[in-house]
Amino acid sequence: MSRIARTASTGIGIAVVLSLGLTACGSSGGASVAADKKQTLTVWAMGAEGEKLADVAKVYEKAHPNITVKVTPVGWDVAHQKLVSAAAAGTMPDVAQMGGSYMGEFSELGVLEPVDTKTFHEKDFFPAGWKQGEVDGQAYGVPWYVDTRVLYYRTDLAKKAGITKAPADWKELRDLATAYQKKAGTKWGLSIQPSGLDTVQSFYSFLYSAGGEIVDDKGETVIDSPAAVKALKEYASYFDKGLSDKSLPPGYDVVKDFGNGRVPMFFGGPWHVTLLDEGQPQLKGKWAVAGVPAGKSSVSMAGGSSLVISKDSEHKAAATQFIKYLTDTKGQADWYKRTKDLPANTAAWTSGDLADDAGLQVFKKQMDTAKSSPSLPNWTEVTDKVDQAVAKVTQGKASAEDALKTAQSQIEGLVK
Amino acid sequence: MSTTTGKAAQPAKVQAAPGATASPAAGPKGPRRRGKPSMGVQNVAGWLFSTPFLVLFLVFMAVPIIATLVMSFTDFGLRNVTHPMDANFIGLDNYTQLFSDDKFLKSLFNTAYFVVVGVPLTILIGLVVAVLLNNGIDRARTFFRVGFYAPVVTTIVAVAVVWRFVLDPSDGLVAGLFSEVGLTAPDFLGSETLAMPSMIAMAVWRNVGTVMVLFIAGLQAIPTEVREAARLDGANVWQEFKGITVPLLRPTLLYATVITTIGYLNVFEEPFVMTQGGPSDSTLTVSLNMYREGFNFFHMGYASAMAYVLFVVIMGITVLQLRLLKDNTK
Repeated sequence: MSRIARTASTGIGIAVVLSLGLTACGSSGGASVAADKKQTLTVWAMGAEGEKLADVAKVYEKAHPNITVKVTPVGWDVAHQKLVSAAAAGTMPDVAQMGGSYMGEFSELGVLEPVDTKTFHEKDFFPAGWKQGEVDGQAYGVPWYVDTRVLYYRTDLAKKAGITKAPADWKELRDLATAYQKKAGTKWGLSIQPSGLDTVQSFYSFLYSAGGEIVDDKGETVIDSPAAVKALKEYASYFDKGLSDKSLPPGYDVVKDFGNGRVPMFFGGPWHVTLLDEGQPQLKGKWAVAGVPAGKSSVSMAGGSSLVISKDSEHKAAATQFIKYLTDTKGQADWYKRTKDLPANTAAWTSGDLADDAGLQVFKKQMDTAKSSPSLPNWTEVTDKVDQAVAKVTQGKASAEDALKTAQSQIEGLVK
Repeated sequence: MSTTTGKAAQPAKVQAAPGATASPAAGPKGPRRRGKPSMGVQNVAGWLFSTPFLVLFLVFMAVPIIATLVMSFTDFGLRNVTHPMDANFIGLDNYTQLFSDDKFLKSLFNTAYFVVVGVPLTILIGLVVAVLLNNGIDRARTFFRVGFYAPVVTTIVAVAVVWRFVLDPSDGLVAGLFSEVGLTAPDFLGSETLAMPSMIAMAVWRNVGTVMVLFIAGLQAIPTEVREAARLDGANVWQEFKGITVPLLRPTLLYATVITTIGYLNVFEEPFVMTQGGPSDSTLTVSLNMYREGFNFFHMGYASAMAYVLFVVIMGITVLQLRLLKDNTK
């Protein structure tokens, strides 16, 4: 049966990681090649970025004839495992794109080269973007693009419900959700995730806006703080009142339901703009983005990707130049045109397309205060405990206080 | 089982040197017609022919199995991916920790639930469908056989899409049926009590086809004379089923039960694509738990220990089933 095959292949996976790890012990750093020598740079990038980056690489090769850039697109779903296997085998590419949550892990693995701070300056980038490439005060990744979540809402249906302005705080958000359901006849009021992996990403908008955090700057676990309890209570009230769907299937895509009006509001990233423009063209002009409604203040999560150089790379000089090209003002504006990924370099926002795009200014404003997660090696595990706490409360199994107290003690055990 | 010792000796040889079975000359008691040298050549040829299999077996089965066992006695974690030698031997700690880990115990319970309810249902429905299809109208037979087998060959993701539609609490198929009679459908996958039964229903639907095919093959191996004799003696349909079909189908029944049980003890895809183990771990199975510990959190040592506990459980249950079901045959 296929299950037996699967069990076997899981075993093989573990063994391959192990055996590759054993052989990797002997590999050395290797000699480095000067930037102006003829050489090939290997680059891994994920998802849509991987495909678009190949075009940029072609442009780059024209200006730098001695460099050949070999871009390998990697799917997001397999990216983590592929990178770990590559780290184990000592076959990391010269340059790799890395999600913020990976940084702690891979620096712990000791496969990342520290960022050359003579070439890349912290002040050029969004603080949250720079911070997510940092582990224990040492920068390992250069911010490539940033993202943050904002509120997407249907303006046409809001008008029908008798509300014309974007919700500014929690109360207005709840009122709008209720009005959508009662007066505009939508199925739900707001789409947030009730349980499952990465629920915390939905919860961040509430947690941070209430002034809460999971782990603070000093490394103390603070998930049972009064602010966090308040945020979780507010979050859970959407499920209690039937404003949000209690069971979303894994891999649920909100865009379609936003298009057909079943879901009039959700928290989304910049990529949703493209998804809505391309996937739901009939919606043009019927939706808008707004800042995350404020609890104490309006703070959203910061995400995005950094570019890292492998410690074992023989092409560090050329890799640094290539990354410089991708992250300077010109490169970032060009990248935005190709992908709609938000530039991590702040100067790129004040020139060209981005300067006068009202929708994007919402992201800009949100980005200024957005908070990134601490770069801890076991961050996935830490957030899993928060996911579980949120699930317990949204499913009515525990009070916010109790669930977060449990999470607090579990996370303390992981962080210390 | 074996009647003649001479014949029994040969199959035993097959395992020792698979390539050398063509001639009894290689056997220890066989007549040495060609003398010693040729036996060596035959052995070499035998090993040569089995090399591809042996290499694949060693690399892809034996090594991982042993590596997992070794790893289960260590605290192999994320760090050790690049520094495997830094992993510490911690003896049986992983194993003792497992049995005080609520999450693991819950996943064990969920898996048991899945097996205890799912296996009998799958076997029973598979048997009934097979009997019906075997005696059914000739023309429609093929159509129905294909119909019941289709879920087996469909990918799980497609199956998940269909079942999500069926179970969707707001506008799914079942919800529609409920509203026809003026009731509100429960939220099957979002409820802690209903998520597992829903998952079992889906797994049964998906696996009945496999079992059915086995039973149809078994049914067709039953000689028609036996049935005719029974009918001449005035047996009715039920008596024929009880007295002839079931006893003669016993080996098939045993096989089907064993492979279904093993498959269900390993259940992974259904919760992985439908619920990710939720809500509140109510559909978290041992395999899914193991996958998450290993590949989400990189607790490789711990996940390996889990794999071995699951292995021992499967082994134990399989041996038990073989004993219990086989004893009744004679």
